[in-house]
Amino acid sequence: MINGINDRELALNILLDIENGEHSDIAVRETLSKHQFLPKQERAFITRLVEGTLEYQLQLDYIIDFYSNISVDKMKLPIRVILRSAVYQIFYMDSVPDSAAVNEAVRLAQKKGFFNLKSFVNGVLRSIVREKDKVTWPLREMDPARHLSVRYSMPEELVKEWIEAYGEEKTETMLAAFLEERPVTVRCRTYPWDPALVRKSLEDQGVHVEQGPYLPYALRISGYDHLRTLDAFVKGKIQVQDVSSMLVAEAAAPEKGSYVIDVCAAPGGKSLHIADKMEGTGMVEARDVSEYKKGLIEENIARLNSINVQAKVRDATVFDAESECRADIVLADVPCSGYGVIGHKPEIKYRRSAAGQEELVILQRSILNTAAEYVKSRGVLIYSTCTISRAENEENMMWFLNSHPFRLESLDPYLPEELHCESTGLGYLQMLPGIHDSDGFFIARFRRNF
Amino acid sequence: MALRTIRTEGDPVLSKVCRPVREITPRIRTLVDDMLETMYDAGGVGLAAPQVGILKRVVVIDVGEGPIVLINPEILEADGEQTGDEGCLSVPGMAGKVTRPMHVKVKAQDLDMNEQILEGEELLARAFCHELDHLEGKLYTSLVEGELHEVNYDDEDGEEEE
Repeated sequence: MINGINDRELALNILLDIENGEHSDIAVRETLSKHQFLPKQERAFITRLVEGTLEYQLQLDYIIDFYSNISVDKMKLPIRVILRSAVYQIFYMDSVPDSAAVNEAVRLAQKKGFFNLKSFVNGVLRSIVREKDKVTWPLREMDPARHLSVRYSMPEELVKEWIEAYGEEKTETMLAAFLEERPVTVRCRTYPWDPALVRKSLEDQGVHVEQGPYLPYALRISGYDHLRTLDAFVKGKIQVQDVSSMLVAEAAAPEKGSYVIDVCAAPGGKSLHIADKMEGTGMVEARDVSEYKKGLIEENIARLNSINVQAKVRDATVFDAESECRADIVLADVPCSGYGVIGHKPEIKYRRSAAGQEELVILQRSILNTAAEYVKSRGVLIYSTCTISRAENEENMMWFLNSHPFRLESLDPYLPEELHCESTGLGYLQMLPGIHDSDGFFIARFRRNF
Repeated sequence: MALRTIRTEGDPVLSKVCRPVREITPRIRTLVDDMLETMYDAGGVGLAAPQVGILKRVVVIDVGEGPIVLINPEILEADGEQTGDEGCLSVPGMAGKVTRPMHVKVKAQDLDMNEQILEGEELLARAFCHELDHLEGKLYTSLVEGELHEVNYDDEDGEEEE
């Protein structure tokens, strides 16, 4: 007999793919689509095991280091990942007996060719099971950043950076929010569809629909198997988008017939939203850097059947003379560190580097430089990111104001009242997960002076 | 010790009922050694004698807890239920969903012809049932719920990195 590939082995393979640089959501989706015969509950088990192991990685490593005399970063990659996912099952999955978590981990170590490490895996895990209440955590009073880092599994440098920017209390709220499960948010199109009918079509297919925060057309959906089986999705009546990202089109507030350039558009959610707000008039040029990304945008344009959006391959850092001073609105939704969406893509938090951070800021400023040139006299520039890093948000905003003929313009006329605050009056908004009912996100609205 | 050729589905030897072992001859010992080696080499967790063309009631199993040798095995008790994928070295590249008992108690002789009673849960219970079926000329493919599907047992050692 051959042991059929089991759930834990699939989960391990996915985690190894992610370690090798794959995005977590793509890795899970691809593996599950290859194993469609798996019953729904096993698919849910695999997804939970992968996401949980990833989300709690730093804390799991801390626990393993506490009991193992070989430190986690010295272990061979598959052994490290096997141990992590076993410890996740022991600490966080009540339905899994500890003995099953241990035995399966030992089996996996063998199956992956580490016959001589079986007893090591067994030994470490058995002592964790035996003494799991004896772990001592870093004390908050002694070192708050280290404490929060282990407790919420967030790299210590990031915790320190956020404590400095937002204070300890807000930082902890955000850290907790990243670990919370959140249903998918979709934008229900109000043009050219009747949102009440769209909602009904979802409910008729057994989807659980809840009103989302801040915007009447933001809906939270759950209880479906696959998005592509939903009629409302296939016919382009809904678009998956976090509510924070929907606020970009609100902040842009395009008049009908406007010419809009979205310089980093893929996969096109914000461009399409702006196009909907113009109700089929005007034109949105949805640009991105490669044919592949253009393809992603075109796929969405086709599904939504939007006539006033056009996808183009253009590098946002390269000046395009034809567009100079031509756009009523330019949207610069720049590549960023993505810390605002750690709740959906937990691997982001482990991939940070100081050098990478500096390069991002340089890239963002270079995009802002060219984007500013496309705005016509008295036109609008929207700057947005899905991060909570000061350097990429407020600091870039201040740099831009000091070096370009633009001023900030209040967001209050365009945003729901519950979001109004001092900064929105000035013209920018930093959304923080847990504090706001959304991902972390930044929006600033600039008006060109002349 | 030597590797033996694993017979695959369609070979008539796989559908025959096996004969009991009356005494442990040197040939039987060699057979058991070869079966273990062949099973490990092929990455299996169990192998029955008919799979290497010998119609004798001999089974070897290793689900990761060390080798088990069963001579003339019989199931004494079975209870509970588990449903999951299983594959067979005689049906390469395929797997299918099979429901088996969760807990199985087996009586068999060891290589000294002493009677032993073994109990297994989960994978071991599944392996007992799967291998004992072979001794009756039965393949798991006749028990599969739904369709057989293809599988790749790739990245054996997980050492390769991009």
